[in-house]
Amino acid sequence: MSQQPPGALEGEAEVPPSTGLLEFEEQTEVGELYLRALMRRQWRLSLGVALTFTAFLLVQPLLAWWWPEWGVLRVVGIPVAWLVLGIGSYPLLIWLGSIYVRRAEEVDDEFTDLLR
Amino acid sequence: MTTSTAAVLGLVAMAVVSLGAGLFARRWARTTSDFMVAARAVPPRVNAAAISGEYLSAASFLGIAGLVMQFGYDVLWYPVCYAGGYLLLLLFIAGPLRRFGAYTIPDFAEGRFDSPRFRRLAVALVLVIGFFYALPQMKAAGLTVETASGLPYGVGIGIVAVVVVAGVVGGGMRGITFVQSLQFAVKLFAISVPAFLLLIHFSGTGVPFARGAGGLARLTTTTNFQVTRGELWQIPAATKVHVSRPADLRWQRQAPTASSGAPAAGFEGGTGPKGRVNASRANRLHLEGVGLVPKGTITWESSDLVTVARGQPAPFGSQTPASTTSAWMGPFGPLAGGTGHPLLFTYSLIMAILLGTIGLPHILVRFYTNPDAKASRRTALLVLVLLGAFYVWPPIFGALGRSYDPSLYGSNLTDAVVLILPSQLGAGWLGQTLSAIVAAGAFAAFTSTLSGLLVSLGGALGHDVYGRWLRPASGPTARRRAFQLSALGAGLAAGALGLLVERFDISVLVGWAFAIAASSFFPLLVLGIWWRRLTTLGASVGVALGGGIATCSIITTMVATVSTPLAAFLAHHSNLAVVLAQPAIVTVPIAFGCMVGISLLRPSPSAGVSAKMVQLHAPELLGLRREYIPD
Repeated sequence: MSQQPPGALEGEAEVPPSTGLLEFEEQTEVGELYLRALMRRQWRLSLGVALTFTAFLLVQPLLAWWWPEWGVLRVVGIPVAWLVLGIGSYPLLIWLGSIYVRRAEEVDDEFTDLLR
Repeated sequence: MTTSTAAVLGLVAMAVVSLGAGLFARRWARTTSDFMVAARAVPPRVNAAAISGEYLSAASFLGIAGLVMQFGYDVLWYPVCYAGGYLLLLLFIAGPLRRFGAYTIPDFAEGRFDSPRFRRLAVALVLVIGFFYALPQMKAAGLTVETASGLPYGVGIGIVAVVVVAGVVGGGMRGITFVQSLQFAVKLFAISVPAFLLLIHFSGTGVPFARGAGGLARLTTTTNFQVTRGELWQIPAATKVHVSRPADLRWQRQAPTASSGAPAAGFEGGTGPKGRVNASRANRLHLEGVGLVPKGTITWESSDLVTVARGQPAPFGSQTPASTTSAWMGPFGPLAGGTGHPLLFTYSLIMAILLGTIGLPHILVRFYTNPDAKASRRTALLVLVLLGAFYVWPPIFGALGRSYDPSLYGSNLTDAVVLILPSQLGAGWLGQTLSAIVAAGAFAAFTSTLSGLLVSLGGALGHDVYGRWLRPASGPTARRRAFQLSALGAGLAAGALGLLVERFDISVLVGWAFAIAASSFFPLLVLGIWWRRLTTLGASVGVALGGGIATCSIITTMVATVSTPLAAFLAHHSNLAVVLAQPAIVTVPIAFGCMVGISLLRPSPSAGVSAKMVQLHAPELLGLRREYIPD
């Protein structure tokens, strides 16, 4: 199916159905299994990235609660707590987001290759 | 009040550019699809800039800096969670929702559950959240025009309502997409360049986090305050004030309850009442010429012009709890610490903002303007980069404001710190230019978000209320007319409501819209996309209960600011007060619990659910795509 023309991306009728794809389209039990596997992989990926960032956020109030020094610590006159939360969060967000986008595309591509 | 010609010019220029670009784009907007989703013909970079432009509202441009100035560290959760919420949107929603082809939450609700009745519930909540979100934008509009030109609050709201409604009615989604991407550039420039220049300007006088003398915010210039009868001041330490004519005032030792419901925290210890005042429950003070007002709370009994000299502790108005610099700087300061349950409050705040982003009605529309899920994800990632570049700056404005213009505390103008601080650079060309730039940025901020909201509100009213229930047989032209009329009506209604919210903080108002969205649409979308056993009944009850309870508790908090018995009751039940003011930590689990519990207890397997999951999750390359929206 690798010779599929690029124009087939938009139209449904032009896609020659393979066995995997047929199972998928007609929603047989096998197709259902394929779909569940795909959803599980994507869900785990998303959840993992989300939990990483949430943990980064949720740890900080606890840290300040148990270790009040956290709010007083300074580097070149600027409080460390401000730097970590107010500035450090954004590079972390972008980094996590780019990891996710790359991996999610890989999962989608692998799945597409599997069915075609 | 600073009246600056340059700032007015900045506003006018931005208004003309917005209107002009919107009307220019009108000739592209021919079909309903153009109008509603910009016909999916928008390049990803423009789209990402437009999404960011729409997302960065007045709460981001003005509100965060104002709140940081008021409350310090605790407010950093706002910008970080605004951006973090966008990451969750990328992770769980962006790809599948684009594949599904639903471009509004009501479309998703109906498409996923085949239930027109559920769609109505979703439309009702879109209207609630949309109006809650429009109010702070209107407040910002009134405040900005007032600060820049001295025109009354209501006039500013009127002007902005006209500009925004004209843009939306004229150009629709396609028109505002280009305007919004332009507005993002204006906002990023207008926040970063002035903040950077102010940092350089003040770097000679010490970093903004310097421990001030005695840990108090002290006035950097001798300041005149116009106080009115009944106005309340918190005096953090004995302060010398000068009154223009003899004045009477009431003095109380204890900290008052601020308008946000948080009792003042962080009063400096050790500098108790001095001089001639006895610390009984309530005292009267008489001032003539210069007098020393002891630490405590005073209420002016006559209108007066009050002068406080440079170097004196800054008085705090009723909207900001007085705080020492160390309380302001550390975690659990006056915002969270004042609630009595700082950790609970902080977690509830994080939850509301992080999860609420996903449920904001005007944000999701944008994903449909991408050609496929891959582009949708990449656009969302680009948005994260743009948001990160923006959100670094507003807290810097807030921190600079505390150190270099604390007179804003006494005049209750902290929300305007971004607009006012550039005038510290003097009356020369630099100060004037920066004032014009920040005024233009603020204008871009509330007009872009208001445009997006009006498209959503107009869509919900015109497409759903009119096109489906009132006149199901109406054609595209009638529906488009209905959309335009609805957008007009929604703009006028939001403007009228905006007149009522002058007393609330911009970001607090926005936080409430997020809390309602987090407790209703967030669980609906996440479970609807990823959990095939979710039933229509479970989803409806969850959305209605979560969104309903959150709305009621927020309205209770709003009523408590004008009703003394209710306020007194809440003061005695601080647990309840925290939860009512920031309900997400309770209502999000309620919504999730209802959805999962009811779906498991009364399963109703739907034959079509597998097909829906295929639509949501199967990569487009397989060619299985069926657009839910046929247009």
